[in-house]
Amino acid sequence: MNLESNVPEGPLKDKWSKHLNDIKLVAPNNKRKHNVIVVGTGLAGGSAAASLAELGYNVTSFCIQDSARRAHSIAAQGGINAAKNYPNDGDTIWRLFYDTIKGGDYRSRESNTYRLAQVSNEIIDQAVAQGVPFAREYGGLLANRSFGGAQVSRTFYARGQTGQQLLLGAYQAMMRQTHNGNIDLHTRHEMLDLVVVDGKARGIITRDLVSGEIKRWMADAVVLCTGGYGNVFYLSTNAKNSNVTAAWRCHKRGAGFANPCYVQIHPTCIPVSGDYQSKLTLMSESLRNDGRVWVPKEKEDDRHPNDIPEEERYYYLEEKYPAFGNLVPRDVASRNAKIVCDKGMGVGPTGRAVYLDFRDAIEREGEKTISEKYGNLFDMYENITGDNPYKQPMRIFPAVHYTMGGLWVDYNLMSNIPGLFVAGEANFSDHGANRLGASALMQGLSDGYFIIPYTIGNYIAGAELDKDIDIKHEAFNEAAENAQSHIDKLLGVNGDKSVVDFHRELGQIMWDKVGIARNEEGLKQAIEEIQALREEFWQNVRVPGEAANYNKYLEFAGRVADFLELGELMAKDALHRDESAGCHLREEHQTDEGEAIRNDEEYAYVAAWEYQGVNGQLQEKLHKEDLEFEFVELKQRSYK
Amino acid sequence: MPSFLTALKSQVGRKILTGITGIGLIIFVILHLAGNLTLFGDYQAFNVYTYTLESLGWILYILEAGLAICFLLHAYIGISIWWNRRKNRPEGYEKYQTKGGPSHNTWASRSMALTGVVILVFLVIHLANFKFADTNMITLPNGETGRNLKAVVMESFQNPWYAFGYSFVLVLLGLHLKHGFWSAFTSLTMKHKKYSAIIYGIGIIFAILIAIGFLFIPLYIYFTGGQGALIAY
Amino acid sequence: MAEEFTINLKIWRQAGPDQPGKLVDYTLDTVNEHMSFLEMLDVLNEKILNEGGDPIEFDYDCREGICGSCDLMIDGRAHGPKAMTCSCQLHMRNYNDGDTITVEPFRARAFPVIKDLVVDRSAFDRIIEAGGYVSIKTGSAPDANSIPVDKQVADTAFDYATCIGCGACVAACPNSSASLFTGAKLAHLNRLPQGEPERKKRTVAMVEQMEEEGFGDCSNFAECEAVCPKGISISAIAEMRRNYMKAALAGDEA
Ligand SMILES: Cc1cc2nc3c(=O)[nH]c(=O)nc-3n(C[C@H](O)[C@H](O)[C@H](O)COP(=O)(O)OP(=O)(O)OC[C@H]3O[C@@H](n4cnc5c(N)ncnc54)[C@H](O)[C@@H]3O)c2cc1C
Ligand code: HEM
Ligand code: HEM
Ligand code: SF4
Ligand code: F3S
Ligand code: FES
Repeated sequence: MNLESNVPEGPLKDKWSKHLNDIKLVAPNNKRKHNVIVVGTGLAGGSAAASLAELGYNVTSFCIQDSARRAHSIAAQGGINAAKNYPNDGDTIWRLFYDTIKGGDYRSRESNTYRLAQVSNEIIDQAVAQGVPFAREYGGLLANRSFGGAQVSRTFYARGQTGQQLLLGAYQAMMRQTHNGNIDLHTRHEMLDLVVVDGKARGIITRDLVSGEIKRWMADAVVLCTGGYGNVFYLSTNAKNSNVTAAWRCHKRGAGFANPCYVQIHPTCIPVSGDYQSKLTLMSESLRNDGRVWVPKEKEDDRHPNDIPEEERYYYLEEKYPAFGNLVPRDVASRNAKIVCDKGMGVGPTGRAVYLDFRDAIEREGEKTISEKYGNLFDMYENITGDNPYKQPMRIFPAVHYTMGGLWVDYNLMSNIPGLFVAGEANFSDHGANRLGASALMQGLSDGYFIIPYTIGNYIAGAELDKDIDIKHEAFNEAAENAQSHIDKLLGVNGDKSVVDFHRELGQIMWDKVGIARNEEGLKQAIEEIQALREEFWQNVRVPGEAANYNKYLEFAGRVADFLELGELMAKDALHRDESAGCHLREEHQTDEGEAIRNDEEYAYVAAWEYQGVNGQLQEKLHKEDLEFEFVELKQRSYK
Repeated sequence: MPSFLTALKSQVGRKILTGITGIGLIIFVILHLAGNLTLFGDYQAFNVYTYTLESLGWILYILEAGLAICFLLHAYIGISIWWNRRKNRPEGYEKYQTKGGPSHNTWASRSMALTGVVILVFLVIHLANFKFADTNMITLPNGETGRNLKAVVMESFQNPWYAFGYSFVLVLLGLHLKHGFWSAFTSLTMKHKKYSAIIYGIGIIFAILIAIGFLFIPLYIYFTGGQGALIAY
Repeated sequence: MAEEFTINLKIWRQAGPDQPGKLVDYTLDTVNEHMSFLEMLDVLNEKILNEGGDPIEFDYDCREGICGSCDLMIDGRAHGPKAMTCSCQLHMRNYNDGDTITVEPFRARAFPVIKDLVVDRSAFDRIIEAGGYVSIKTGSAPDANSIPVDKQVADTAFDYATCIGCGACVAACPNSSASLFTGAKLAHLNRLPQGEPERKKRTVAMVEQMEEEGFGDCSNFAECEAVCPKGISISAIAEMRRNYMKAALAGDEA
């Protein structure tokens, strides 16, 4: 597997502009002749499709939802980072880059992360020009806030709906191109396979989710923007339709899957209330600015929280991390919540929750101020749980939120399969072992608006693409048959356990053993359990309905089948990475206080896995891309 | 850009037209009520008023033409909106109810076409009865000879069919205006966070006043047998 | 743990676009107050599956009230009884043991049923396609702070921009009008300096498209505002009319 990163030579800050100078261009009148497939219409896919179409390529775009506007990106709340330094608090591109790479615990590629910081400013310009209604100051200029423990205010936001507004901007740009005939948009279509001809990505196979029809699409390049795979855990903050299918099927066609074990767990989510629970709701991180996190000192203390006196409360974050207190990074906060719950101090009916208490903030600032700041969130909490957070502490628990791992890509965001580009959360590129708040939106848009449109031209101009093939080529036949037979197989099992049950069980294994903290024994067990579950799935799953109709259970069955393989790879990756880094905490490698200990000597690399088949076990070959740090010095993270 | 005429035929244009004609009709009913209330004035006041009106000559014809256009256009668009409503939801709900709150979705608003058509039918009868009535001529206080419309009105409303028939229509007119008043302002794009609630309130009061004002006439005449103290006949 | 209780349901079942549909009765006795409405349907589906039946199809994705996928007519009200709430954010604690709930798809000529409770709302996309954007090329934008925007203008634009495209406004409107949806996008873009240059063109194009899709006229019922999960005001509709008529009056010179 070729893991050549293709990072241009030269000083960090000149790499991108130099690259832009050097890359090949496609003549304007020739672009019309090139088809590009963009799968996904989230921030990455929407912005890529719009920009490519604007440049003149023929774009064909796909999404699962009934409208491109509903991609999962719509749910992002907090904001988007950029190094504009509007507040004049000393922010620079370097500082944004440095925070991002440090936040990722030095497990990302310097050059990519630096470029992300560079491009960040243009994203804001672009969004504002599109009419994205960011929050503004009274003077009419854009407002910023600090987010996720950053020491500068560099986060742009649109109340609690930043992702929505940015996505609508990209969606609208996309619809404009659709109207002009430059984008051929297919909603309610799911990509089921990648078509590789002569070693190059030349098309995809989709299923029309309404009619069930299997369709073939040909192109000169394929851009995968299909989001993250957090739903492997069954419960997560991701939208229900988020999945790994597109990426996984590409992986099966030879694309390297990088760092699958890096999963971010968000500390402030509403806890699970029962088996029927279908997803977890994120409560904005901003709540930690004023809420104090605690648990009762006494184990299994079932008193009402308001009846527990001050001295019997354990403010564990404040005690352990006096400098950052309740504002420690996500992974630290999540891990500590797990630790106290494992010790039996967790609260609520399941014992898997901690308190987030606003009593002191309300006393200090008054109910009115607090309600102005968090009113919406409090209402949402009350709507979901039935409890009033003004009167008693909220209960929160960590939940799976974001996946840093993804398909391996080079500096051009091209995977190791030529012609297959990967953008947004679906690639592994910029966040290393941990993503900072407000930087996923930045990455999705930077990939889509500002990187892919150029690098794809470079590829197309240089690629020698066979012009004589069409969708009747044998590679298309093979892939389409493959997709169809997979569906037939799912419908043919006819067992008596539902898809949801399998997914829930897989999620439980993942959460317990490949979740917040991992250890060798647990991971080995997880691998075995997943294998057994997968075996059972193919013996005993029941998928209702038929293939040639709208059939959501069939869609889900396909996705769960892929999760059942990915889960094993994640456990394998976590097992092989015998260090702690960012969100990946191996219990064997932590300080007495539970801090991650990296092993830069042995593990400063990207683990890219090559699929080799499944027969009982998942067979994957490990490839390494060594990470070289020319410009930053590796330090142990400390939030003490 | 669409031509102005095309624009008027669009959904938006149609609503602007119902708004304009609606306001026109509102102005008409105010004036008409004011005129009709001269029934309670001096013995001949009403006849003087109708005489003066009728002697406006061509000005009256222009006003009447305008009024006729208002009525016809208003009725035509209103009914076509109602017709489209059925077409645009071919399969209805088994269960449907309003969510309340800011909604003005009431029986009155949903039945604008029904109340409107009743008013239209009423109008035909009304005109035949009053405007084109055979009347005695009478000498007015100013020495001119005019139609004794007051007598027609007084006699008509002593007939229970007329009195209660009118009353029924007038209640419907009130309901039509309850939604119509506010709606016309909104159609004519006057919608404001605070003031719209006020306009809606004024609309309700207006609708009640108009309904009561008109209703008073047939009911008073009927129940007093034309001999009431308020009316000189 | 909360008590379980029983809910009776009458749910619209329709096998395909051209097939007849009808309300079918179900009873679920394992409802819990913490369940969301959609989770209740999930549990019902599991039960139907266990009994060998065909599960009920309904649309959803985010399940947190932002994607606009979910679209249920619950007891005759779009998104159910609670104001400012999506179907997915409605919780069963709003119901009592023994209640009967009728669930139907959003109905309008422009929203044909695909299956059961799933409808086709692509008409909304085509309305946006007609002009719901600012025509600006990637990379050609001036610095974000080069045009100050009055905070109040920006905030109001945001209020209108929060539309999630769910279609409840159409479903609840007695006329099946899409005026609130269309008006909201216009009110968002038209009031910002970035959207100003295309104000007239955009307004005319979107209004025409809305009509072409087969949505009805707006009679100012304001039911749409009542059911809108984002509470978008019908002032948007008034504004749309004003801009449309201005554009028409200005004619081609504009
Ligand atoms: C609740 C929540 C809050 C967040 N808040 C923030 C925040 O404040 N700041 C921040 O920076 N980040 C935030 N994030 C993370 C961020 O939203 C995501 O990482 C980002 O939006 C991913 O964008 P994307 O374009 O890569 O993918 P997505 O938006 O997930 O889009 C995926 C697209 O691919 C399509 N697709 C998927 N599979 C297939 C297939 N097989 N065939 C066809 N199409 C397919 C889908 O239909 C969809 O259109 C948040 C995430 C969550 C869950
Ligand atoms: C001639 C018979 C009439 C018919 C058939 C009729 C019908 C209607 C209908 C169907 C509407 C609703 C339009 C819509 O749905 O948008 C309407 C609105 C209205 N009507 Fe009438 N109407 C009639 C007479 C009147 C009269 C006599 C008045 C006034 C006194 C009046 C005042 C209004 C007003 C103010 C509106 C609101 C206009 C708007 O929404 O823009 N109508 N009418
Ligand atoms: C108690 C109620 C009413 C009384 C006593 C009344 C009386 C009259 C009279 C006497 C005339 C004839 C005037 C003339 O020819 O000079 C008239 C005309 C007319 N009335 Fe009424 N009316 C009543 C209610 C209404 C209502 C409710 C409407 C409509 C909504 C209406 C619409 C008209 C119209 C359109 C004319 C013709 C006006 C013209 O052509 O000049 N009337 N009415
Ligand atoms: S205006 Fe409101 S009800 Fe209509 S689509 Fe938008 S969010 Fe839904
Ligand atoms: S409910 Fe319908 S009539 Fe107009 S105000 Fe709303 S679109
Ligand atoms: S499922 Fe996304 S809004 Fe309800």
